[in-house]
Amino acid sequence: MSIARFSPFELLLLKSRSQVDTATLLLLGWVLVHRQHVSEGQRRRRLAQVTAQFRHGHELGPVMSIAHSQDLHAIQLAAEVVRKECSKERSLSVMHQAITVATDDGDISLANHYILRFLADLLNVAPATLGTLFQELTGQPLRPPEDPSRDAYWQTHDPAYYAQKAQEEADAAQREKASQEQAEQQQRAKADKQQEKKQKQQEKKQQKEDARRAKARAEQSSAEQARAERARAEQARQEQARQEQARQEEARRRHYQRSSPPPPDRTTRALAVLGLTPGASKTDVRRAYRRMAQLHHPDRFYSESEHQVALASARFQRIKNAYDYLMQTY
Amino acid sequence: MRDLYQRLALSPDANDHQINSAVARCPNSALRQDATSVLAVAPHRETYDTLHHTLSDIGRLRARLGLTHGAHWQGDVANDFSLPPDNAISRHDELVDRVSHAVSLYNRWRRLRGPWLLISVFTVGAGIGLALGFALSLGLGMG
Repeated sequence: MSIARFSPFELLLLKSRSQVDTATLLLLGWVLVHRQHVSEGQRRRRLAQVTAQFRHGHELGPVMSIAHSQDLHAIQLAAEVVRKECSKERSLSVMHQAITVATDDGDISLANHYILRFLADLLNVAPATLGTLFQELTGQPLRPPEDPSRDAYWQTHDPAYYAQKAQEEADAAQREKASQEQAEQQQRAKADKQQEKKQKQQEKKQQKEDARRAKARAEQSSAEQARAERARAEQARQEQARQEQARQEEARRRHYQRSSPPPPDRTTRALAVLGLTPGASKTDVRRAYRRMAQLHHPDRFYSESEHQVALASARFQRIKNAYDYLMQTY
Repeated sequence: MRDLYQRLALSPDANDHQINSAVARCPNSALRQDATSVLAVAPHRETYDTLHHTLSDIGRLRARLGLTHGAHWQGDVANDFSLPPDNAISRHDELVDRVSHAVSLYNRWRRLRGPWLLISVFTVGAGIGLALGFALSLGLGMG
């Protein structure tokens, strides 16, 4: 094995008087970095305040700079150390510190929602415990995080954008309406002119026709009948053409639906739920499903709280759905 | 929080043109609306991208630490940001390995002085023995 250089965080950890404290410090720094509307000095002061009784024996500066660089390896190492070394009481106190660092008045950034939940999973803190801890510290319940991948989130958080969009749309509609009206007016004027012309023509025609009528009256009845028949035929043909078009469109749509493949990531996602990489064989899928189903079966959590059972059944359902989907596609 | 990029089969650094064409191709109207109001507006996309980056990091961490089925990792987030476990070994084990390797190197360096000491003692001893033998044989020859 070739020896790579030790990273700054590894050196810090090796020199530290207490590895758990150093690792906790980095995780708290990570939470702090994702807190919004706070200056760097305030962050340092807050961290120093919260970790006053830590025994790490080194400066906070390097830890904060590692946290700022979002070094995933360092954070993973810190998480592993914390998970390995923390007792139950200690993990609760770490959770406590993380919540304190993340918020002062219950106002918590979206990223920190997920980071706190990650820490809770890491430290084996149940959702109910996390909820009560949060409520005690901030006086507000821990709500599920909002979802900025949805239109509704932006409608509440950026109403200015929607107001502007609505204004633009209204303007466009008004412009269109105005242009339509203009067109209509023009058309009406044209129609009027045409009508006048027609009237004149008709008058002329009538004069001529008066002369011809006597002769034509005999022919007229038969001609009219012929015209009506022709019109009926025309209508029928049009109807048929329209039906044909509709049928074609339907066929095209059906063809499109059939030919559009299922999203390619769905298989990958289903495999990921079973803890497999793409390209796993059917036997692998079946074996992974058996293992996961045993691990997450709701009956295993029967002795624990109802909430645990509900969570387990949700997980089990997810695993089962993934397995069913994979069995269909494989 | 869903991974819109994954759902639209895009990469997270796709440009506006790619996003627009992907949105136009998308058959789900609700997803289309969300994508236009999140990804097509620059400030919204910036916010979304920051959180997307953090969540991808958390997803990777969870995959490496075996926390992809945690009680706090449910719903859309878990569906979209869970990664298959990679073969990265535990960072802590790696650190321990590296420290022990460094320690063994150091120890070997210290130990190297032992053999040299032995060799020098042996040579000195041999030299003295030779000299004594020579002197003895000389004395015998004289006598």
